[in-house]
Amino acid sequence: MADEGEGGKEGEKKILHVYPLVKHSDMNEEMRTEAFELSVTACEKYSSNYEQAAKIIKETMDKKFGIFWHVVVGEGFGFEVSYETENILYLFFAGNLAIVLWKCS
Amino acid sequence: MPDPKGGKGDGKQNKGKNRASKTKAEAGGGDADDFDAWIRSRQLLKPDDQLDLTEAELAEEVTKVLTPTNTNVIHNLVVYSFKDGEYVPAPLPGNTVTLLGYPGNSLHVDSEEARRQIEESDEIGYPLPMPHYSLVEQRDTSVGDGEGEGEGEADDDDDAKSAPDKEAEEEEGEEEEEEEEAKAGEEGVEEGEPRGDDGETAAAQPAAATASNKKRKLINQFNYCERAALTYTNPKRNVDTQTVPPPRSQFGGNVLQWVIYDSYLEDFEGQSKESAAKKEDRKRGMRSKKFKDKSAIAEQLNKKYLKCWQILERMINQNIYDDIAHDYRYWEDPADEFREGEGNLLPLWKFQYEKTKKMNVTDILFNPSYYDLFAVCFGSHEFMKQTNEGYLCLFTVKNPSFPDYIIQTDCGVMCCDIHPTYPFLVVIGLYDGNVAVYNLRENCKEPLYISKGVNCKHGECVWQIKWGPDMTDGEINFYSVSSDGRVFNWILMQNKLWVTTIITLFLQDGLVDGPDGTKVSLKSGGSCMIFHPNDQKIFLVGTECGYIYKCSTAFSSKYLMTYNAHNMSVYRIDFNRFNSNIFVSCSGDWRVKVWEDMRADPLFIFDLGSAVGDVKWAPYSSTVFAAVTTEGKVHVFDLNVNKYKAICIQAVVPKRKNKLTRLSFNEKIPFIVVGDEKGVTTSLKLSPNLRVMVKPPKKQLYLDQTTLQIAKLEKLLSLVRELPEGNIVPDTATTVRS
Repeated sequence: MADEGEGGKEGEKKILHVYPLVKHSDMNEEMRTEAFELSVTACEKYSSNYEQAAKIIKETMDKKFGIFWHVVVGEGFGFEVSYETENILYLFFAGNLAIVLWKCS
Repeated sequence: MPDPKGGKGDGKQNKGKNRASKTKAEAGGGDADDFDAWIRSRQLLKPDDQLDLTEAELAEEVTKVLTPTNTNVIHNLVVYSFKDGEYVPAPLPGNTVTLLGYPGNSLHVDSEEARRQIEESDEIGYPLPMPHYSLVEQRDTSVGDGEGEGEGEADDDDDAKSAPDKEAEEEEGEEEEEEEEAKAGEEGVEEGEPRGDDGETAAAQPAAATASNKKRKLINQFNYCERAALTYTNPKRNVDTQTVPPPRSQFGGNVLQWVIYDSYLEDFEGQSKESAAKKEDRKRGMRSKKFKDKSAIAEQLNKKYLKCWQILERMINQNIYDDIAHDYRYWEDPADEFREGEGNLLPLWKFQYEKTKKMNVTDILFNPSYYDLFAVCFGSHEFMKQTNEGYLCLFTVKNPSFPDYIIQTDCGVMCCDIHPTYPFLVVIGLYDGNVAVYNLRENCKEPLYISKGVNCKHGECVWQIKWGPDMTDGEINFYSVSSDGRVFNWILMQNKLWVTTIITLFLQDGLVDGPDGTKVSLKSGGSCMIFHPNDQKIFLVGTECGYIYKCSTAFSSKYLMTYNAHNMSVYRIDFNRFNSNIFVSCSGDWRVKVWEDMRADPLFIFDLGSAVGDVKWAPYSSTVFAAVTTEGKVHVFDLNVNKYKAICIQAVVPKRKNKLTRLSFNEKIPFIVVGDEKGVTTSLKLSPNLRVMVKPPKKQLYLDQTTLQIAKLEKLLSLVRELPEGNIVPDTATTVRS
């Protein structure tokens, strides 16, 4: 799928961005920074094992900001979640990875 | 007895019928019949060995006669008697069989036992209602005994055989007892019933009786009373509240690779735009930074320029005042050779600062490290004309036109001191009682330390301030004296001034009656202080009452010495540079007095004809001191030359318009600076006659000047001391008037 996207703009430029990009978040600054860094670290550490990465993110978030966090790490999925307001982070990372973490008890 | 038998017979017959009907019912297979049969079969259950009797047999009456003889009693029972060596017939057991023996605790009132107890307890006890219940029960059991007699007899007999006599006796005894008890019970019942009717009086009586005498109670295990109360149980209630659940939101999305890619592209575009904008900003920033750099450079340059300008200014000044500069260094008044015992003062520069023209010079002090630098304090000595600003200016003789350092304060500066080891540390005392420490190297605008708060300052004007020797742990500290009669020690802590009171200057006979019969001890306001040059613990404090107190920093309880020195406020005290036992004081009572340590009377008294603002010993000679008066004159004394009058009296400022306030000797070059009331500091060169050195005797050429100076002073002192005290210091004094 990535190839498709790249294919469209092949002629112009073929830059593959890998920096973490926050697509959507309503967290406060502090929490966002924390969650953002945590997600990036986890995904870098377990770049081949998304399950492990998600697990790490979830457990750490539970510890730091209270329980009932949910984390999805994957390359392709759809989601529709209800979350406790100001507790969602949706970011892209490494060019092909999406991470959603939200809190809902 | 015949009835049950008849009944049984009936039952048997019924059972037979029942069986028949049952079989019928089974054949019919009806449910209702089945149920009927079941009920009947239950009712008519019979033992198997029951006799089947005919109607006639059943109707026959059987007559049975009960006889008093117990047929079960064995009549021919024998017991082996070891005494007789043969079997003897055992006596017949009685007709009574005891199934249950229950000795009661109740006694009849009339019984022997009861009587004995009453005799013991010395009163008549009322039988309580409780016992008769037990009696009734016992009666029941006795009735039961009667009934069960027949059955129990056979079992009892075996036991009874062993000791029939005894048992019989016991049984008799029991019977008797039972009879008695029964009687008592009847009576108890009879007595108890009426009591129940009028229970109140009955209950009250024993209660009163028990209250009066505890012994009256009959021994009775049932004689107790139990009370209980049940409180209301409050109904339970549930109160619930429901909080608003935390707000929730919905969010959804699809993660697809192209979505990710697109958003990255979008973001990147935004970023590139931003970075472009930033670049522009940065360019601007660079420019502003350059500006900043420029200003910093300009500042540095300014500093450089300032230094250059200062040098240039000094050079110009030197050129302008070339002749004065020459005089300052080299001019020796040739006239002195022809004036024996007289000298004069040559005015050099006048130092003033534009902003302090109207202010008084309140203190002058030479810097201990830089001989040509001196500090001048500007304030006001007039109580009514206090300025709302004060200055401390440091002038150097190299530049008489402008002060090198200017420190501005918001009230008059009354005194200052420069630290001997750290010549950049200046402490000033203010008119409002505050003290401040400035670091001249850092900045002159903000004090390094300043006293804060009401309790951490003097109550009144600080008159003199002196750096003390460093504490044992190296902390820098200074002392200050104020009109509020206290001497404080200030320690420069890391971030604040730490103040301790060294001494409070109480008047020695200053206990006067206060209001309401209290005693108020009067304080005298300190006006000056100076430390002993050799013993740093000792200091002299001059007061506004004219006393000089010799005190120690080690203790504050008493004065080491009190000199009744002057009739008016002591303005300044100065120790002789060569002999620390000698000091000079000046006062508003026109007098200058020279004192010896621990001698109550002064060695010399000089009347200068007007209030003496300041007096200082010369650093170069042990017998020379100078004083300034409010008349605007400087008096220079050399006791070695003239013990009675000054060797030089010179008016420095106009008599009517101006007054001299302070003076200071330069340590290195023979000139003095005097301050006046118009904010002008004048420097005056001392002519050769005012600074005569001691010529060593021909035989002792090796002696240095210091030794000679000390010797000179000693010689002089011995002359004075030898004279009888009354003669040497007549209070009419040696008036020195020009």
